[in-house]
Amino acid sequence: MSEKQRRCPICGRAVESGAPEFPFCSPRCRTRDLANWASGIYRVPVKPDQDEDDGS
Amino acid sequence: MSTKDAVAVGSPIPDSADYSAASIKVLGGMEAVRKRPAMYIGSTGEMGLHHLVYEVVDNSVDEALAGFADRVDVTIHTDNSITVVDNGRGIPVGEMEVDGEKRGAAEIVMTKLHAGGKFDSSSYKVSGGLHGVGVSCVNALSEALELEIWRDGYTWQQSFACGEILGPIQRAGKTQKRGTKITFKPDATIFTITEYNFDTLANRLRELSFLNRGLLITLTDERTDKAAEFRYTGGIAEFVRHLNRGKQVLHDKPIVMEGARDIAGGVLQMEVALQYNDSYTETLFSFANNINTVDGGSHLSGFRSALTRTINVIGQSLNLFKDVKENLTGDDVREGLVAVISVKLPQPQFEGQTKGKLNSDIKGQVEALINEKLGEYLEHNPPVAKRIIAKAIEASRAREAARKARDLTRRKGALDSGGLPGKLADCSERDPQRCEIFIVEGESAGGTAKQGRDRRYQAILPLKGKILNVEKARYDKMLGHEEIRALITALGTGIGPAATDLDYTKLRYAKVILMTDADVDGSHIRTLLLTFFFRHMKMLIDKGNVFIAQPPLYRIKKGRSEQYIKDDKEFVSVMMRRITEDRALRYGEGGAELKGAALSKFLVQLSDFHTHFDKADRKLRHPALTQLVLEAGLDKKADFETPDKLRALAPKVAALAGIAKAQAVLDEEHNLWELRYKDANQLERVVNAELALLPEFKQALRGLRQIAEHYHPPFLLTDGDAAPVEAADGRRLLEFILDEGKRLFSVQRYKGLGEMRADQLWETTMDPTTRTLLKVRLEDLPACEEIFSTLMGEEVAPRREFIEQNALDVKNLDI
Repeated sequence: MSEKQRRCPICGRAVESGAPEFPFCSPRCRTRDLANWASGIYRVPVKPDQDEDDGS
Repeated sequence: MSTKDAVAVGSPIPDSADYSAASIKVLGGMEAVRKRPAMYIGSTGEMGLHHLVYEVVDNSVDEALAGFADRVDVTIHTDNSITVVDNGRGIPVGEMEVDGEKRGAAEIVMTKLHAGGKFDSSSYKVSGGLHGVGVSCVNALSEALELEIWRDGYTWQQSFACGEILGPIQRAGKTQKRGTKITFKPDATIFTITEYNFDTLANRLRELSFLNRGLLITLTDERTDKAAEFRYTGGIAEFVRHLNRGKQVLHDKPIVMEGARDIAGGVLQMEVALQYNDSYTETLFSFANNINTVDGGSHLSGFRSALTRTINVIGQSLNLFKDVKENLTGDDVREGLVAVISVKLPQPQFEGQTKGKLNSDIKGQVEALINEKLGEYLEHNPPVAKRIIAKAIEASRAREAARKARDLTRRKGALDSGGLPGKLADCSERDPQRCEIFIVEGESAGGTAKQGRDRRYQAILPLKGKILNVEKARYDKMLGHEEIRALITALGTGIGPAATDLDYTKLRYAKVILMTDADVDGSHIRTLLLTFFFRHMKMLIDKGNVFIAQPPLYRIKKGRSEQYIKDDKEFVSVMMRRITEDRALRYGEGGAELKGAALSKFLVQLSDFHTHFDKADRKLRHPALTQLVLEAGLDKKADFETPDKLRALAPKVAALAGIAKAQAVLDEEHNLWELRYKDANQLERVVNAELALLPEFKQALRGLRQIAEHYHPPFLLTDGDAAPVEAADGRRLLEFILDEGKRLFSVQRYKGLGEMRADQLWETTMDPTTRTLLKVRLEDLPACEEIFSTLMGEEVAPRREFIEQNALDVKNLDI
């Protein structure tokens, strides 16, 4: 895979992979992201009920 | 400090009869300056050198402030001497009595500290030239100084060297001009740097012209022929615009507030201009009598408190604080602010050696002015008010975010005496190089892992995800604040960029192993954790400390032999191998036969093909059509540049059930051919290059080519002497074999790590001699972020679809 330029996960600005705050564009966006973690903003979907899982 | 204190401290009152004693006293002042120049002008380096110019220019600007001059010309000569010319009244040339002695007034101004008209508020209502100690300092520190005065129709001249008078003032000739010209060359024995910097002077002169609306200041550099001219009729509003050049501003025009109040000793003039930009920094310049008060003071604090108060009041009245918990703070309202505050007042009181702070008691007056004028402006310009307040609210949220973020790394709460999280089951080994930590999600999994580990060097950190019922049939899981904190604390390095915040040497475990369930939910939790590592502990990934454990998804057992299998793909391949051990497959008309490894390989390829086929078919929802498209072998753009292949395909497609009117048509937009047809619902659909070149089609086509050699149904599966079983096509063949597998082996599918026995978990996943760990690499970041952002996606529908289609693929990523 070619080394593509990444985008800051918070504001979407382009970020060089060598940037000091990579993958963020700035300390501010880093802080925002951290606050999102701290406030439980980041969630992943899970199956509601494991019992009815028949594997298909 | 009172400005008079500095005069010849400690000198006895001179005897008027003693000419030489008085003379020594005056010159004594000059010597003091030469002895300790830094005390008077700050430094003998670049700053002090330039300060000399400001000192002389300030005198000229004071003439302008008093209304007698409108232009100041500054020249840097080739030998780094400086000339400052103004068109003011000219320094008085008459005689005056000082300490009982008659002296030329100009001479006194040039040689006596704190001499001159500045201390008499009747000749200058306001005066900025109180920086250091006046032009006499410049004289003392110049190896040569020429003074020329144009006044009352005559030209007057006097020369000095190192502050000493070389001769009395001379009337040189007649003139119509008015003004003062001072040329000085800084003393190279005093200054460590004698080279003037054009830009430094230009910046200060520009500042002065902003602060003194309409005053023309020119700067000419004879060394380079560079020149600049400053005149700003817009005053400090233009200053603000200048500071905002190249920035995105929130409102077009700077907000300008002006006013005057009577205070003790005269009139206080106040001028404030402000404009917001979209940055996060604040740029505030405050001046008192043109002096840049770098440390602020009463005028600045009055401005600040009024700004905060006014914005809060307006925000309340416009009802903009609905979801803001607390009032906006000063920091909030100053984000992106550019402001210039300029006050002019009689007898300003400064603090500190460099006079960087205004002490005069004018806070209340400035505050009252801003409260009134800014309030009025914002009330009449609600769009501007809303933009400014929205920005401040944003700043307030960012600050709240920062507080929460800091809280993550603060040590408190559920930590044991060593400062470690209470739920961490640490290992006994102390050398981090030999330690591992398993990060496990779920309590039962955590329990099993704790029992199964080797406690000498393996630590377990069980994290508990929180389930949220987002809507009727949708549940989300997240890691709460305490879980993230426990993770950070257990690893010991802190978080952030390695250059500043994260301390890699504090890492407590050489291997950080993410151990989540082998199912889809487990892979989602793993993506969540990995995203955190990529974003906030990237150094650990750079250094190769982060690993993924591979717990089994299946256990298959026959008699005494048991085998653990990590995913569905491996499950199929193992089942195929085991079942085909003593069987053979006959196919085709010639009775060709496959057995052993070749048979098992064919079946695995067949199974892979069906997996890819099903994914490809999701696009067309018509298996027979998908099959035809694949068989047409359309695998490159060139296949669509001419109509041949599509024309050959069209009649076959048209013959399919539920499809009508299939034909090759040129898509002019792309200049490519495509196959258009109508589906069972009479909707026009299309098979084009975009579709055929999707990864799922390419993979399915590759699979089709792999199995082509042996794929000649019907199939006949023989098993020693037992009756052969016939399968009409590949799918039925696979179904039969998997059913056979389930009949012959006992298959257990683990729904979670917690379902395994501790010894099973140890043996399959944790034991360094038997386990396989995958190392997480930086190259995995894009894939991880992509999955993460899709899992986070706001829109439910595409998110669902993505999860359905890619859930199992998550495992196939190289992470």
